[in-house]
Amino acid sequence: VSRTYWRSLAQLEDRPEFRAALEREFLEEGPSELPEGITRRDMMMLLGASLSLAGLAGCRRPVEEIVPFVTAPEDVVPGIPRYYATTMPFRRSAYGLIVESHEGRPTKVEGNPAHPSTLGASSSIVQASVLGLYDPDRSQSVTQQGARKSWNDFVTAWGQLSAAHASDGGAGLAILSESFCGPTMARLATELRERYPKMQWATYDAVSDESRLAGLKAATGRDVDLMLRFDQAAVILALDADPLLTDPEMFRHARGFAAGRSAGATGGTTSTLREPQGRPEPSRGATGSGQAMNRLYAVEGVFSLTGAMADHRLRLQSRQIAPFLGALAARLGAPGASAGAGVPGLDPRWIDALAKDLLANRGTGLIVAGERQPAAVHAAVCALNTHLGNTGKTVSYYEMKDAALPSVASLVSLVSAMNAGTIKTLVVLGGNPVFDAPADLDFAAAMAKVPETIALGHTVDETSVKAKWHIPRAHYLESWGDVRAAGGTLSVVQPLILPLFGGKSTFEVLGLMAAGQDRPGYDIVRETLTLILGEDEFDKKWNRVLHEGFLAGSEFPELAPAFAGEPFAELGRLSAGSASAGQAASASSGDMEIVFLPSPALHDGRFANDGWLQELPDPLTKLTWDNPALVSPKTAERLSLANEQMIRIDYSGRSLELPVYILPGMADGVVALTVGYGRSRAGRIGSGVGFDTYKVRTSKASGFDSGATLTKIARSYSLSATQTHGSMEGRPIVRESTVTELRSRPSTAEHKPDAQKPAAEEAHAAASPQPAKKGTMSALGVFPEETHHFSLWKEHVYDQGNQWGMTIDLNACIGCNACMTACQSENNVPVVGKIQVAKGREMHWIRVDRYFSGEPAGSPEVVFQPVPCMHCEDAPCEQVCPVAATVHDAQGLNTMVYNRCIGTRYCSNNCPYKVRRFNFFNFTKDTPDILKLAMNPDVTVRARGVMEKCTYCTQRINRVKIDAKLAGRAIKDGDVKTACQQACPASAIEFGDLRDQSSRVVKAKADPRNYALLEELNTKPRTTYLAKVRNPNADLAGVRTDALG
Amino acid sequence: MIARRRVIGALALTSVVALSGCARGCTSSRPPIHLNPSMDDQPKVRAQTSSTFFYDGASMRQPVPGTIPIGGLNEDVAFFTGKGPDGQFIATIPVPVNEALVERGRQRSAIYCQPCHDARGDGKGILFQRGNVPTASFHQEKVLKYTDGQIFDVITNGVGLMAGYRWPIPPADRWAIVAYVRDLQRKRLASAPAAPTSAEGKLPSASATDPADKTAAKPAGIK
Repeated sequence: VSRTYWRSLAQLEDRPEFRAALEREFLEEGPSELPEGITRRDMMMLLGASLSLAGLAGCRRPVEEIVPFVTAPEDVVPGIPRYYATTMPFRRSAYGLIVESHEGRPTKVEGNPAHPSTLGASSSIVQASVLGLYDPDRSQSVTQQGARKSWNDFVTAWGQLSAAHASDGGAGLAILSESFCGPTMARLATELRERYPKMQWATYDAVSDESRLAGLKAATGRDVDLMLRFDQAAVILALDADPLLTDPEMFRHARGFAAGRSAGATGGTTSTLREPQGRPEPSRGATGSGQAMNRLYAVEGVFSLTGAMADHRLRLQSRQIAPFLGALAARLGAPGASAGAGVPGLDPRWIDALAKDLLANRGTGLIVAGERQPAAVHAAVCALNTHLGNTGKTVSYYEMKDAALPSVASLVSLVSAMNAGTIKTLVVLGGNPVFDAPADLDFAAAMAKVPETIALGHTVDETSVKAKWHIPRAHYLESWGDVRAAGGTLSVVQPLILPLFGGKSTFEVLGLMAAGQDRPGYDIVRETLTLILGEDEFDKKWNRVLHEGFLAGSEFPELAPAFAGEPFAELGRLSAGSASAGQAASASSGDMEIVFLPSPALHDGRFANDGWLQELPDPLTKLTWDNPALVSPKTAERLSLANEQMIRIDYSGRSLELPVYILPGMADGVVALTVGYGRSRAGRIGSGVGFDTYKVRTSKASGFDSGATLTKIARSYSLSATQTHGSMEGRPIVRESTVTELRSRPSTAEHKPDAQKPAAEEAHAAASPQPAKKGTMSALGVFPEETHHFSLWKEHVYDQGNQWGMTIDLNACIGCNACMTACQSENNVPVVGKIQVAKGREMHWIRVDRYFSGEPAGSPEVVFQPVPCMHCEDAPCEQVCPVAATVHDAQGLNTMVYNRCIGTRYCSNNCPYKVRRFNFFNFTKDTPDILKLAMNPDVTVRARGVMEKCTYCTQRINRVKIDAKLAGRAIKDGDVKTACQQACPASAIEFGDLRDQSSRVVKAKADPRNYALLEELNTKPRTTYLAKVRNPNADLAGVRTDALG
Repeated sequence: MIARRRVIGALALTSVVALSGCARGCTSSRPPIHLNPSMDDQPKVRAQTSSTFFYDGASMRQPVPGTIPIGGLNEDVAFFTGKGPDGQFIATIPVPVNEALVERGRQRSAIYCQPCHDARGDGKGILFQRGNVPTASFHQEKVLKYTDGQIFDVITNGVGLMAGYRWPIPPADRWAIVAYVRDLQRKRLASAPAAPTSAEGKLPSASATDPADKTAAKPAGIK
């Protein structure tokens, strides 16, 4: 099968401007020009001036002082990091973490391998949370109407307020919190309610799973939530859902999904998904031994990461999910389900094939619906999973305890009470409602009517600036606390450092209000844990919980849902209205569907001041620093829109102007808006970045709605995308195959031909054997020289010591970008800003390339490819460096000697993989003191004019070597983990010693899917890839992937 | 004309700079001139450096009280504090005592104890010789009566003028030093005329790891 990959629509059109841009390594003229209009000539003058001044004033070696501990703590050896288990609370999840501490300063966050929610993995948000601790814009003191006050002032003020409210049972008191799940918060909330029985408590999350909880409650009659077990699933159907990225439990999902993906992809001999026609096989095991590769179907309107991983993806508007589900339920024979109108224009073979697959895999199927889908859809999905026998196998339910669940209704009633003037004191316990509350509530106006407002916040944000009292909120790395993970595992938040600015945690503020006295968080949490662990030998148990980070065996019991009511009746009512609306949308430019998406980086906007996350490219659009409206190519054509064109969206009486971006694979007639951007008071990084889409989001439709109108505005707005940077000129870079092909040709991954490549060479490449042949590993370094390759240089033999190498499994990689942020945190990679990104100067050492293939106006398939330095044995960069600043070491690492580098950039020019990054400016020169604390002390902070790139985390290799030498043992496989490998939720990256024949990386390289990038250049890269494998359903070949004509 | 004047001015300035800069051969109270400072002083925080961010000027922070690092559970209270569950000092070393341990103790003692207590443990070390600082002898009646746990506690927390050595000496090495001190005392007692004759002059063999043998290193009759 010939397949053409494209990185962007511009590449597909192949206009001359695009060719010209591609041929330049950096996208703009004069790569050395400073911004703000300073020319090179001016720069030389400035340089001369500063040189002549040098003798008079500056350029003296800085005075360095040695400041030891006055009272040295036991076990702290300066320079040797220590590790603590702690927990990052996020929505109602708890991420178990291991945090690296350098002399009491946390610098790096990793997942806790023993914790059930992270399993050792992490995400961009988790990785970047350490930067949130050192955010220079964090608020530094309690303020009263903007004036600096102390915490004691607030305690005194609260004493008076609390006495006033105690007299009437708290009738005028209201608390607005984010949803939470944890015993201490639950206990304090109960105590507070006892103290003020008449108080009002609202719980609001801007990005919320409220409709799922409502659906499960409708289906089962109880407050339950679910756990998905992707590792047990053979057939997965995602309905407008993104369990692999924006779901809070993405780690477990990604790990399980990748395990089910790798099964059967390792050679093709035993890949046998239970085909519907085939004979039934016994239930497949969880991982490893399981033989069949899972199959993912996605039905969605907005191109999500989950959709990008799908074997089959159907483009449907979000409002058409309900009728689709109704038709599917009827086809599956669920009791009480009626087909209803169905989805007009949808090829019935799609539902038939899907239903057949789900029925053939009873007990190993899984249907999951997205958070923004209405409750009825979730209720129906719950009933369908039970109907198919999946409950208890691929999905389990548990009853929630110690939790405050999100409720928009509670916020609506709070706001109406505020407007009515019955609320005298409002406490905003975290969250930023002035920014993210539904626009129709006008929270700011209501807040102005409350005489006493108290806001707890990390920064003086939109809400805090309008509140009478602001209390700085302690970061999770500064506070004591306890939270329950999804599933109920009790996890402890252990501080790594004392609060930098005297911040207070929610526990402490709520503790003050509940008990009427100021108590440290440590005491409050210990008190709760005493109730749970028991007083007998409490200290010993408490210490163990702190050491492990969580209490083993504290998860909630599984629950078999008993159905109450008719789950499909409500779905039928919902379908009737939305199906016709969807059909109408295709015809007119009015009544587009508007969809609100959580940002994969900023979530609901809370991480807006985090530079790492702002500069993180969106997985699909590869855009940084912005949130344009996303539309499909067909919709853009109909409205004659182009990328970067400004549009006005009119919806429910409100309007918003923002740029548009055309994303292939979107459903037609949908405009998708990402929330969290456009903050006015985020700080120096995040203020004024992007567009505030909360302005058009209402309490009635927080997920999606009909009735939006798009109008073109005669303005444009430039966007910074990384997708066109560093193109590899259409060479066969990503390779993929299918399970069937792999089975028939077990020894060859499909070699993708390419239009530009001469046919003869292509045939040669396709016929050539795989790069890593067993048995020839030791002959010439690690890679045997292919017969048609010859080297201009004398080959170096790498047969001593450790020889490091890496594999990246494109079949496992879900493109979530966790590796990018992990690398940024580990290796002090600077943030460069939107303008520099537009010029192709982003500094990420590992990038995740996204390739589309297929019809752009249809549902193109996607391959993600992380690209770090390949550490070529015959490195082209080394041969052109005039000062030997980049050289090989004995372990096969392609190293950078920063001090030698004079910045010729020849190496970058000669690198076929475009993985070298150049410091065009002194990006770290004006680093604030507080941000210096976030830097990894083991890694050089590079200066202007220096080239840099992936080092295989050489500092980690050296740490392990030193430790092994001290302990007098050899380095074991798995001792060295690179930052990207450790973070990867999908376990797509393997790293290890290529001379250790039992190492995981050697085993991965022996896989027939293994291939080297641009192998024909004979660079002999140490990093190789495993080809992607798809698992398509033969019944769906040639079936339309959308519903609208 | 103006341009030329500027050039001359610049040249004059440069020559002044060259004369006054004096990079080599001059004494100065200020740090030396450093023309290419690139990456010499990086915006990161290394161990034992000063900080302008923290109020006490130190970049190194104390661990938050009550926190437990990984590997820092220290559940074996006797091993880490020298005290039993009843809060009393334990009588014997809680690790197997053998020649290797005593040798390790001798090395550690030579580094940390000998400067004050001297090689024979008489308290006549360099501090006593030069500063006449009173230093305890290992062989005085009081110390002979200490239990093993108590000696461990003295090393850990210090006593009188002696500082605590909890930071530089890990617990396992502290127990090694206790074993060595006991060995010194036993040898002195054995050589002294008043020593009980039953005290044999040999250690248990290096292979003895039975916990019951722990007491074998203890001089008989000390208590």
